[in-house]
Amino acid sequence: MKTSTEITMSESKDKKIHGIVAEYATVDSLMAACRKVRDAGYTKTDAFAPFAVHGIDKALGIKPTKLPWIVLCCGLTGTATGLLMQIWMNGIDYPYIISGKPFISLPAFIPVAFELTILFASFGAFFGMWALNGLPKFSNPVFTDPRFDRVTDDRFFVYIDSTDEKYNQSSVEKLFGETGSEYIQSVLEDDSPKKVPKFMITTWIVVMALSVIPLLVVLRMRVTNSPLPRFHVFYDMDFSPSKDAQQNTTLFADARAMRPNVPGTVARGQMDLNFQTGIDIDALAKIDGPRAAMLVRALDDADLAEEDEAVNEETAKPAASVMDTTPWLSENPREISLELVEKGQQQFGIYCSVCHGMNGSGNGLVNRRAQKLLSATWIPPSSLHQQSLYAENYPDGKLFNTISNGIRKMPGYASQIKVEDRWAIVAYVRALQSSQNASMDQVPASEKKRIEKLKTQVDKKLKEQAEAEKKAADEAAAKAKEAEKEDAEAAAAKTPSA
Amino acid sequence: MSHARPVVKPADDPAFKLPASLSAMTLPLLGGGLLLLIAGWAIGNFMGNARVAMSAYLAAFIYCLTLATGSLFFVLIQHLVRAGWSTVIRRIAELVMMMLFPLAILFLPILMTLFMGEGTLFRWDDPNYASANHLPMDAWTEKSRWLNQSWFTIRAVIYFAVWLGLALYFFRGSTQQDETGERAMTDRLQYWSGPATMAFCGVTSFAAFDWVMSLSPMWFSTMFGVYLFAGSVLATHSMLAVAAYKLQKSGAMRDEVTTEHYHDLGKLIFGFLLFWMYISYSQYMLIWYGNIPEETEWIYHRQLGGWGMWTVLLIFFHWLLPFLGLMSMYVRRRPKMVVFWAAYVLLVHFADITWIIMPEASEASALPYAVNWIGILSAFMCMVGMMSLLTGLVLKVAGDTRVIAARDPRLAESMAFENV
Repeated sequence: MKTSTEITMSESKDKKIHGIVAEYATVDSLMAACRKVRDAGYTKTDAFAPFAVHGIDKALGIKPTKLPWIVLCCGLTGTATGLLMQIWMNGIDYPYIISGKPFISLPAFIPVAFELTILFASFGAFFGMWALNGLPKFSNPVFTDPRFDRVTDDRFFVYIDSTDEKYNQSSVEKLFGETGSEYIQSVLEDDSPKKVPKFMITTWIVVMALSVIPLLVVLRMRVTNSPLPRFHVFYDMDFSPSKDAQQNTTLFADARAMRPNVPGTVARGQMDLNFQTGIDIDALAKIDGPRAAMLVRALDDADLAEEDEAVNEETAKPAASVMDTTPWLSENPREISLELVEKGQQQFGIYCSVCHGMNGSGNGLVNRRAQKLLSATWIPPSSLHQQSLYAENYPDGKLFNTISNGIRKMPGYASQIKVEDRWAIVAYVRALQSSQNASMDQVPASEKKRIEKLKTQVDKKLKEQAEAEKKAADEAAAKAKEAEKEDAEAAAAKTPSA
Repeated sequence: MSHARPVVKPADDPAFKLPASLSAMTLPLLGGGLLLLIAGWAIGNFMGNARVAMSAYLAAFIYCLTLATGSLFFVLIQHLVRAGWSTVIRRIAELVMMMLFPLAILFLPILMTLFMGEGTLFRWDDPNYASANHLPMDAWTEKSRWLNQSWFTIRAVIYFAVWLGLALYFFRGSTQQDETGERAMTDRLQYWSGPATMAFCGVTSFAAFDWVMSLSPMWFSTMFGVYLFAGSVLATHSMLAVAAYKLQKSGAMRDEVTTEHYHDLGKLIFGFLLFWMYISYSQYMLIWYGNIPEETEWIYHRQLGGWGMWTVLLIFFHWLLPFLGLMSMYVRRRPKMVVFWAAYVLLVHFADITWIIMPEASEASALPYAVNWIGILSAFMCMVGMMSLLTGLVLKVAGDTRVIAARDPRLAESMAFENV
């Protein structure tokens, strides 16, 4: 004991004293010592124990930490940052509509504001704790004393800092002595070597120098040309084992990677070709093989070549028109029923009537508008009630084709109207056409009476109108005659007086 | 440790008995509560209409139910996590969860509306509901498989069976331990708390769907059960703080419940305020983002005719104000302040329940979904009445048992508990 004090005294001459620690063997003696130190009026104090001791703050008179206020301020800063950032970004700097919400829409901003609140608050707690504890610190002078190591095991210490206002070496030692401490020691400056060994610095410099090399290699590659292909660090999906369209393969006898359709199969969207195109494909293949093959890739090359020869002799039969040799389907492939025609009427009303008019006379709303605007490039839509569009001259298949692919300025509707519905429209157009050419015997018996009655009414009205007009004309004529007469009389009366 | 172990009083100490002043309140509470409940219903029925009255009754019922199921949850969770701090106040929760028995009887009027009137309370009960609201029949047929009188009744029986079974098992276990002091009982309750919590969660969530969410039959939110649960646990912790304070003021368990326990309750109230906000905001934000008519309907109705202001005020008064109020440790370590905020939370929890239920009742008034003050007054009177009635019954039960788990092996640990 004596020797240790002597050492302390001799050492303390040339070393800075940071404070004094006192060691205790039990929690109870620690608490008692703490109370004594507190009552003596020391404020820059600390207690050390291997485990948490309840009530030590109170015993040592430690004030509640400021950390919660730091955390609160950081949290509020986080909220404000989150909100302002989003308001600035989404509402002011780069207004961008997201699913029709207003630019500054709080509900969308709250999650980010909430997350930033928590992030800032945690940073506040973490770094605030650092700041309050004076961290980062690589060594603490209390650890200069080997005996202090037992604080993590089975000993308790109280420390009084030398910067305390009431600090006085001898009185502190006396106070600790009164608390029954067996070991009182000044905390001296840590004089363990702080110099980094030379070999570590050398190693560090070498590693740093080597680490520049990859960067230089990359930079050089970026500014020079090379006959070698690009060096792939990450393959991603740059190299796929699948073949491209025009590549060769050894897998098949014909060396084609792109396989032709297997004979006898029907590809998607090519089922029932006549139905899809409005053309009698078989007949077309006989007349114009290549065009049929173009339309229908499903046909086998070999078959076509054979037929081509056969057909050449057959095509002596003249086509219906010089202009159009396509063998259009002349009959609607769908079964004509009331339902179908009604479906056609509905679809016609949606897609066709805007130009062609509800009755097909070619005077739809779009046309009327175009006439009103005197649109120069406007081509008036055809009236569907002209001779050239009747079934004899314009086969159903051709009408179907026109709907599908368009004609002149009319666009094709294949992408908008389903195939079935296009045929329904064809059926409805035929019905519309025949409605303008119906004779009385086509009218059903139940309706005949009503129609005849309507007809007599209309006739009567027309007759009455005509009579009324005639009468009005007669009256006007009589009035004019009378006025003439009066004028003449007046003129006659004036003359003598003059 | 420096502290001497606290002295645990013998189980027959008078401090563990319900104070006489509280016992004397049993009959006045029962009588007054019943009268107030009937008066509240009558005001709704005769100054408003049958739906307003029954909705007010339902609001009061759900308010009491959230406290009772919240208490059951509290008991289960304390056993589940082997909590040491809560032993001194656990008995209060155990007593309150016994309110589920009278609540099962108080549920009967709600069930009766299904069989006696068409659409009196639940609109899906009205056979013309689908056609009057132009709902697609196929969707409605599917919906009716779940929402129909008989299946609804069966489910209600299942819910109450599970709750009552759990409540009775845990109450009996705890009170038996008062007599025997067996450690094995604690182990047994702990063992069953896991499965019990799982059963509780399912049942409580589905009860929320059935009894509250189905007021607006075509609306759905999978979050809704959790939303009600968040308010329920929040209110339960507040109720525990208020009840413990009242018991201490009346002379029971003076040394057992300390500042430390109020501090803990304060922390939990603080935490669950944020949880309530988190859940209600999550529900709102998903609906707001999705912006699908069938989901926004419910929120939209709560933005019409004065309910919009109520919604905004809920954010401030149900979350922000008490959240800031309980933020400081200084407040949480002062029992009076904790009890003040706890009582406050109990009141705003009622505002929350009203906001959930009452807009659906005001369809019959001139402006649909307007704030109907008759309905709110009626609901408030029903709530106070039903709470008094149930408190009276709880005091009756508490008079026959103890207000603290006197021989729980963790009682000493709980008394010695320290936060700081």
